[in-house]
Amino acid sequence: MTGAAAIGVDAGSTTCKVVAVDETGALLASRLEATHPRLEEQAAGLITALVGDLGPVEPPPVVATGYGRQLVRGAARRVTEITCHARGVFGALGHGGTLVDIGGQDAKAIRIGEEGRPIDFAMNDKCAAGTGRFLEHTAGRLGVAVADLGPRALGATAEEPISSTCTVFAESEIISLIGRGADLDAIIRGLHRSLVGRIVAMARTVGLGPPLILSGGVALNPGVRAMMEEATGMAVILPPHPQLTGAYGAALIALEG
Amino acid sequence: MTNSLRCPTRAEVVARVQAAGRRVAAVLPYHYPRALLRAHGFHPVEVWGPPGVPRDEGGRHFQAYTCDIVVRATSFLLRGGLDGVDAILVPHTCDALQGMGSVLGDFVRPTPPVLTLYLPRSRRPVDHEFLVAELRRLGEALAAISGRVPAPADWEAAFAAEDAADRALADLYARREGLAVTDREFYTVVRSREFLPAEDFVALAGSLAAGDPPGGVPVMLSGIVAEPLDLFDHLSAMGARVVADDLASGRRRVYPLQDGGDPHTRLATRLLGGPPDPTRGDPIAARARHLREQMGAAGARGLVIYDPKFCEPELFDVPLLRRHLSAAGLPVLHVEVELTGSLTQQTLTRLEAFVETLR
Ligand code: SF4
Repeated sequence: MTGAAAIGVDAGSTTCKVVAVDETGALLASRLEATHPRLEEQAAGLITALVGDLGPVEPPPVVATGYGRQLVRGAARRVTEITCHARGVFGALGHGGTLVDIGGQDAKAIRIGEEGRPIDFAMNDKCAAGTGRFLEHTAGRLGVAVADLGPRALGATAEEPISSTCTVFAESEIISLIGRGADLDAIIRGLHRSLVGRIVAMARTVGLGPPLILSGGVALNPGVRAMMEEATGMAVILPPHPQLTGAYGAALIALEG
Repeated sequence: MTNSLRCPTRAEVVARVQAAGRRVAAVLPYHYPRALLRAHGFHPVEVWGPPGVPRDEGGRHFQAYTCDIVVRATSFLLRGGLDGVDAILVPHTCDALQGMGSVLGDFVRPTPPVLTLYLPRSRRPVDHEFLVAELRRLGEALAAISGRVPAPADWEAAFAAEDAADRALADLYARREGLAVTDREFYTVVRSREFLPAEDFVALAGSLAAGDPPGGVPVMLSGIVAEPLDLFDHLSAMGARVVADDLASGRRRVYPLQDGGDPHTRLATRLLGGPPDPTRGDPIAARARHLREQMGAAGARGLVIYDPKFCEPELFDVPLLRRHLSAAGLPVLHVEVELTGSLTQQTLTRLEAFVETLR
């Protein structure tokens, strides 16, 4: 593979992503790994591996984003995940809107305007209850694989409301529901509703309006997507690689120089 | 640094003032009558936390959702940080400080006497009358400690010194665009008004060199207190510059000055005459208008509302304020911080992202 013109690195709290784009901004290659404690070495290793995937090319310019962006060696620039996600969505879809990015440990809502510029944003990085960690934690407690959560929520014929706004208290609530003999899928559906409720409330603070775009690892969960549509009355659009949006945006910024 | 700025610490000032035979009053935020304290022989040194003091000891006396200024200041006191002062003044700026005044007076009972100042929460004529009476009561309490009832000459001298310092503060803001100082230097000087004797403040403010300030994306800062001062280094590294403020520890205390008349009436008029303020019950529209005007005059492209976590008066206003300013096309970022002495990565990311949106 040749023609890599720029690299983007999203050193996130849950996963570390690197992508390469050609001079037209088309995505050429990517790598994604769970974030290691030694993020500096990990990012450097991922960049080297990606350059290796691309064949004998001059290492292209790198822009870093994500909470570990300062640790990415050799980055020409470091840009926040807000700007990179906005740029990545605009580059992938050709339009702005309201982007909701739900990652493993944080969630953000970004209103994206003309030319892919963020106009307003809100972040939840303090409370696990509005992030993928909420589902992951409770899935572990229920003995259900994370990938099965969405389909089971959608297939449920009933719903158990989860009223706790905290991941830890929600776990106690689930234990008591199980103790009462509640249906597992109904609990899972209730969990999704709870997560989506918090995410939509956050998105409203930036003036939630169409088109509604979802990214991050949780965007792959069909239950969350369906409930977001229900809660907002808007169709949810997914960019082509929802988990790579930030890294892709960083690569596009690197391309612009 | 563009200036060789040398500013003593609060502890150094306390030691120096006491060595000169004057009394020191530790004062909680944020509206209080400096000239009245001075006329009664007290030098005010303000306590804004201090940041970094653990919440533990103070936290035992308050709900978990009480702001850091109140809890950390109580911790500081319980750790002996205010042992040497001659009085502690707790203005009733908000419910949290009102609670602190009661907790200190009724339960903690520290050695220095605890004085309170009931500040009215609006600006009607009746509030003015009430505040005049409150200031007289505070004066009597100070006189009971110092044994000094100010003579007309004491009042005159106190007003002359404090008015000069207030004028120097106002002048500092007016000269801002013509000062070759970083934001950190500028706010080091602004905040030295919290503890420097008035004469020293006038000298320090006057020592700043004229010239062009550094460049950057112009932003306005609102909220309570810009702690830690590293905030300004971070903002500058992000490519931003603070061109105006509406901080409780800053421009909210640029009061209009009056000449002559009864000193208590004069002080009440001054304290109630400051710019729109969330602790005064001012209408949101008035606050929004004030912020819009300040931003417009300084060319600020966005507003950062920077508050200690759980600051009630600020939090009441933020959603509507945000709505008003957004409707006027002015971007707003609200961040809440804990006064731990450093900034979290999350806070820095929010600030940096905001600056990126303004470029
Ligand atoms: S930070 Fe807010 S709540 Fe705390 S003392 Fe100051 S005004 Fe009151």
